[in-house]
Amino acid sequence: MLNVENVRKTFGAVTVLDGVNLTVKPGEVVSVLGSSGSGKSTLIRCINGLERLDGGRITVDGFDVSRPKELAEARKRSGTVFQLFNLYPHMTALRNITLAPIEVLKRPKAEAEAEGRALLASVGLEDRADAYPAQLSGGQRQRVGICRALAMKPSYLLLDEVTSALDPEMTAEVLNILAKLAGNGTTMVFVTHEIEFARQISDRIVFLEKGVLLVDLPTRDFFAQDGGLAQPRVAQFLSKMRKD
Amino acid sequence: MRFTQFTPYDLVLLAQGLGVTVGLFLLTSLIGLLAGTVLGVVRYYRVPGLTQAVTFVTELLKNSPVLVQLFLVFFGFPAFFHLNVGPVQAAVITLSANTAAFVYVIAVSAIESIGRDQVEAARVFGLSRWQVLRHVIAPQAAAFSIGPLTALLVNQLQVTSLISVIGVMDLAKIGATLNLRTLKPFIVWSVVGLLYYLAAKLVAGVGARIEHRLRAHSAFRGL
Ligand SMILES: Nc1ncnc2c1ncn2[C@@H]1O[C@H](COP(=O)(O)OP(=O)(O)OP(=O)(O)O)[C@@H](O)[C@H]1O
Ligand SMILES: [Mg+2]
Repeated sequence: MLNVENVRKTFGAVTVLDGVNLTVKPGEVVSVLGSSGSGKSTLIRCINGLERLDGGRITVDGFDVSRPKELAEARKRSGTVFQLFNLYPHMTALRNITLAPIEVLKRPKAEAEAEGRALLASVGLEDRADAYPAQLSGGQRQRVGICRALAMKPSYLLLDEVTSALDPEMTAEVLNILAKLAGNGTTMVFVTHEIEFARQISDRIVFLEKGVLLVDLPTRDFFAQDGGLAQPRVAQFLSKMRKD
Repeated sequence: MRFTQFTPYDLVLLAQGLGVTVGLFLLTSLIGLLAGTVLGVVRYYRVPGLTQAVTFVTELLKNSPVLVQLFLVFFGFPAFFHLNVGPVQAAVITLSANTAAFVYVIAVSAIESIGRDQVEAARVFGLSRWQVLRHVIAPQAAAFSIGPLTALLVNQLQVTSLISVIGVMDLAKIGATLNLRTLKPFIVWSVVGLLYYLAAKLVAGVGARIEHRLRAHSAFRGL
């Protein structure tokens, strides 16, 4: 279980997360919606331990990310896919994927590479294993980014606007892969602006507004008139997103 | 009567001087590279207090003449610390420290040139600070710094000539000796200058080769 309890995060005088509660059970796909600056990325960065909490607690399968000794265990259980890919530019696609399994999980190199190649094949990149990130298209880079996260066999996959740097065709490539993962029962926390896609794959949708988690509902209820849409801010957000 | 002719033995003297210059250069470059890199890593680990101390000392070394540093070590240390410092020791201490200060600056900017995003990604996947340094930062920082390091070492090779003033029998000192004896400054200093030039070209050539090899592995830059 991934547990976010009453989390507060401030940058100077600005409160970016204000008492956020969120629970993600194994097998669930939870999408996080919210306008720009609402704190979605910050929430992800708190879960994977890149930001220090100013209040509350986050546990990943019981391991508290705020305790230095438990952070390593928490991080082994979650895998992050980044908006701008954040690949290691001096390493091939395959090495990007196998670095952490070899160094952190101490997997034998041959095994890690075989698994890495299988992952690349599963996203249609079997022939790009030896390419460097600069030699790949944006969509291909993000597919490598997804493989890199999956190679750690995470219990929870954290995705922060993983398609927003991609053109529509590349977005479709990546979303197809995510749909497959969701179908396989991969647990995901999915920050996105792709509302329709979120609606198709999510079990639940939560809505962040100025650091407050305003709505947390099963997907069907979120889009119902007497559910999420009853919240004026949500209705406003959805109609604005549909227009764009 | 003054003996002003060149003799075959002068070539031996020049070779010895060149040997001293190159030897001191190699030794102090090695120490400087190691020390400067270690100091850069100390800064990477953000050891409280230590970073400020290192920055302060390297600033002093970078912003004062090497000749002054050399005099301080050669004349100042014996007077102040009651240490016996010979010319060669003083040369090794001064040149190593000076090279280390500049290597430190290059190492720091090389480490800082690596994008934060990659480092964060590696940390999120559980790599320790050391593993991040070793696998993500160091290879890219090396490729980044080889050019500035080569330029630095070519310059430091010339700087070694300063140690002749405290009596080290390096190439410049041999030049001065031959000049005094033969009274043929144009020939002596042309030959000495040529030898420095060739040594510098050698250093630059080695640097270029290493850079070329690193580049071969950096298809990642899309070059
Ligand atoms: N390191 C930081 N220092 C100061 N302020 C920050 C920092 N990181 C984020 N913020 C602020 O926190 C707020 C939330 O940022 P965050 O990136 O979490 O928003 P977001 O919901 O992900 O937005 P977007 O949809 O544009 O990605 C913003 O007002 C942002 O300016
Ligand atoms: Mg964001």
